[in-house]
Amino acid sequence: MIESFLELADLFPNAITSGIIMSIACSLIGVYVVLKRVVFISIALSETAACGIAAAMLLNIHPLIGSVALTVMVVMLLSVNYEMSRIPRDAVLGVVFLLAAGLSILLVSKSGFGLHEIRAMLYGDLILAGSHDRNVLLVAITPALIFFLCFLRPITYTFLDRDASQVMGLSCRLWEISFFLVLGLVVSAASKNGGALLVFCYLVAMPATALLLTRRLAAVFVISLVVAIMSTLSGMTLSHHHDLPTNQTIIVLSCVVFAAAFMLRGLVLRLEARGVRLGNNNSNDK
Amino acid sequence: MKDNTLIECINVSIAYGIEEVLSDVNLKVPRGVVLPLIGPNGAGKTTLLRAFLGLMPLKRGTLRCHFAQLPPGYLPQHKKIDPLFPVSLRQIVTMGLYRELGFWRRPDPAERARIDEALERFDLTEHQAKTFGELSGGMRQKALLARAFISGADVLMLDEPTAGLDAASERYVLRHLLELNRNDGKTIILAHHRLEDVSHLAETALMVDRKTAKYLPAEKAWQHSETHFWEDL
Repeated sequence: MIESFLELADLFPNAITSGIIMSIACSLIGVYVVLKRVVFISIALSETAACGIAAAMLLNIHPLIGSVALTVMVVMLLSVNYEMSRIPRDAVLGVVFLLAAGLSILLVSKSGFGLHEIRAMLYGDLILAGSHDRNVLLVAITPALIFFLCFLRPITYTFLDRDASQVMGLSCRLWEISFFLVLGLVVSAASKNGGALLVFCYLVAMPATALLLTRRLAAVFVISLVVAIMSTLSGMTLSHHHDLPTNQTIIVLSCVVFAAAFMLRGLVLRLEARGVRLGNNNSNDK
Repeated sequence: MKDNTLIECINVSIAYGIEEVLSDVNLKVPRGVVLPLIGPNGAGKTTLLRAFLGLMPLKRGTLRCHFAQLPPGYLPQHKKIDPLFPVSLRQIVTMGLYRELGFWRRPDPAERARIDEALERFDLTEHQAKTFGELSGGMRQKALLARAFISGADVLMLDEPTAGLDAASERYVLRHLLELNRNDGKTIILAHHRLEDVSHLAETALMVDRKTAKYLPAEKAWQHSETHFWEDL
């Protein structure tokens, strides 16, 4: 297996670095996607990013520009306060997802590309990432990630207790929009390289695994990051060794890790409950 | 003579959409008091409290809040905080120092001592490593109270601080509130649903009902709790 990895590193170095960059950014930001219970936003934004790429192809501009522009527009739409609205934010997200998915196919059908080319352009494949893709990804994601890590405290406080944060002088709306803009930028850049489904996996499966394993925020970030990088490298190696599709191998492997963490958590809870029962019985005997 | 008014409402109206919850409220809240906001569910106690905090836009009228340099310490209903959020009780209390710590700074030894003191004051020291989700209802309220307290604010605004607590925890929280008022001089404004406690907390209560708010003697609130709120007032 080590030989396979070395061979992979030799043949697809850009794919490996792109995968690591994506896994770092998405697994960290994804912790708040899961905690804020906006999992569906990430898949809607991925699809929006794909739609932006399609529009860019038709307009003959750089795909990242189209992807970021459309994603930012959707982020602004989602930042509206839906508390007093007749429909929940999820319903708006659903409509955004449907529109983006349908429109992206309609747009590329007029672009003159072949179906495989379209799929690769819209939904990406990590193994095909080139040095240009990797550099664009790095340029787009680095400032977003630095911003996120620098302002982790106000973002955390806003998500933890909106009203109290507002009273303390934090502009909750500003920080929420900032977070969603960071998310939009990361998703749109990563989707172009790795595909919407892989980005969704990084944003949800890795943080969810970490949240199952620890209840300390700092540890959640670390575990999410480690699981993401390990799943990426192992998944890429496995896919290369067994000639499997790269994205799907990473996704399935991540889900297996999540399932293992889920079972481990259940086991720990059972043992804890058993320990409490035994403790109670002993005290009753005395 | 120095004006003792902390909050002044002049013809304040607040609405959710087109429906007015409070209409033409006129009142003054003095400093240094314990003021329970009482009234039936949905009458607008939380809405009025949130308006005092600047969290609710006014439909009409003027609301003047003469807070000192620090904003009020705020204790929301503990159900508003997601128990799945992996933050420790100590981190929640530390949040009260946000105005001093800003975006990046970690608490210095003096600030850490203040956090320890707040935890000790509310009997939370041994639970400080637990996450919010691992705490009982009473512990959660005490954690949020410690957070409001540590900010150093002169005014504490509390939304149903005893909701969901057992009798012992409820007494504990209320006793602490009275101590904060008597010993530390804090003004305490709280939305409260248990009318039988009101006369122990304050001499005067603010009854919120039928779209308006009026002061009444605290004892009268309990006397009228079995009947319709306004009929004999």
